[in-house]
Amino acid sequence: MSDNNILLEVQGLEKAFGDNKVLDGITTDIRQGEVVAVIGPSGSGKSTFLRSLNLLEVPTGGRILFEGTDITDPKVDINRHRQKIGMVFQQFNLFPNMTVKENIMLAPVKLKLMSQSEASKKADELLARVGLPEKADTYPEMLSGGQKQRIAIARALAMNPDVMLFDEPTSALDPEMVGEVLELMKELAQSGMTMVVVTHEMGFAKEVASRVIFIDEGKIQEENKPKEFFENPKNQRLRDFLSKVL
Amino acid sequence: MCVLGISQQLYNNFIKDDRYMWLLEGLKNTLLITLLAVIIGIIIGFAVAIVRSSHDKNGSFGVLNAVFKIYLTVIRGTPTMIQLLIMNFVIFGSLSLDPVLVGGLAFGINSGAYVAEIVRSGIMSVDQGQFEAGRSLGLNYSQTMKSIVMPQAFKNVLPALVNEMIVLLKETSIVGYIGMMDLTKGAMLIQSRTYNAFLPLLAAALIYLILVMILTACMNKLERKLRTNER
Repeated sequence: MSDNNILLEVQGLEKAFGDNKVLDGITTDIRQGEVVAVIGPSGSGKSTFLRSLNLLEVPTGGRILFEGTDITDPKVDINRHRQKIGMVFQQFNLFPNMTVKENIMLAPVKLKLMSQSEASKKADELLARVGLPEKADTYPEMLSGGQKQRIAIARALAMNPDVMLFDEPTSALDPEMVGEVLELMKELAQSGMTMVVVTHEMGFAKEVASRVIFIDEGKIQEENKPKEFFENPKNQRLRDFLSKVL
Repeated sequence: MCVLGISQQLYNNFIKDDRYMWLLEGLKNTLLITLLAVIIGIIIGFAVAIVRSSHDKNGSFGVLNAVFKIYLTVIRGTPTMIQLLIMNFVIFGSLSLDPVLVGGLAFGINSGAYVAEIVRSGIMSVDQGQFEAGRSLGLNYSQTMKSIVMPQAFKNVLPALVNEMIVLLKETSIVGYIGMMDLTKGAMLIQSRTYNAFLPLLAAALIYLILVMILTACMNKLERKLRTNER
């Protein structure tokens, strides 16, 4: 691990789809224990930024260092590093053909990080932690959106990640279910988990994040502590954006 | 010739000289060829589908993908009958192989092309998010395909696969052209002895129908079982 407990070091990150430049030189560090909220208008590149951090999107320029290793280097075994970078998706992406518990146990067992019984114990712990112990043998189809997302978080946690990425985790939820997911994320943040959260929930960004990043047109336009960020925005685009969403 | 009673006709066509044995013998060969073809078709089909969809996803298997594309075009673009004849008289023309083997191979290679496209459509029908979820957990490409994508793809295409099996079973009725005694040929042999087309052909048709109905029933049961897995 590099100095100052920097977990993720993003240097001049670029991503283009053909002629369309979605990320245009993003540089930032994510430190151990930080909760970074990433906000911005749709199409600003914030999701692409997040998905680049575990190389679901392969950057077309720049570097990403995870715990000191340049994971954009094609020679690096990205699968090994992804095990330490948990990800939660907007659409949950639970495996529909497996029970909740099987969803959680799959990766640790397949990757031979835990035995079947260790993984089962871990899954029970995680189910208790996300408040759904009674759903162990249920299939995802029978769960509400909020429950699905809590299970998806448990599934990511089963790998004991060093950092968790959240890609608009509450955007696909009915309004009454947003709270339970945010509450769980808040608990996770308070437990010291390093998190990068792309979100439209300004309340969450204000209350839980230790830093807020505003991305627009593929660039970081402003980043700051939440209080300063929301009370005293300097960037004109950010001011326009906040006036629309707050 | 006089008009014989129905029982007399049944006797003539099926009992006399153990003629029903032609149907049974034919049925055995039909089933053997179909089974062999299904196995070969599934192996080829899955291999081609995995290579083709991997190529679509990450550009791997360039050469193999090109070869398989030609295979698909040729097999789907020519009649099964011609493929069977070529297999028998050209490729294995000088060898005297067991016709069950030749037929099974010809139909298997033929079926593989259709299975490949069915399976490929199944793989594509699985949401990209499933694949990404697997990869984000640290599973590599083949682990993700094997543990997450393929089981769901298989379930999605099961009805189409069984349908392909049904088509295959019926299509084997042309193996008579390479001198194979299958169910259809067995019925025709009886006809050539009794000068009665109706009963032997009706019997053959009934046997095909029953086989297809059994397959369909099995599929329905399997589908129900797979579906309850999600409740």
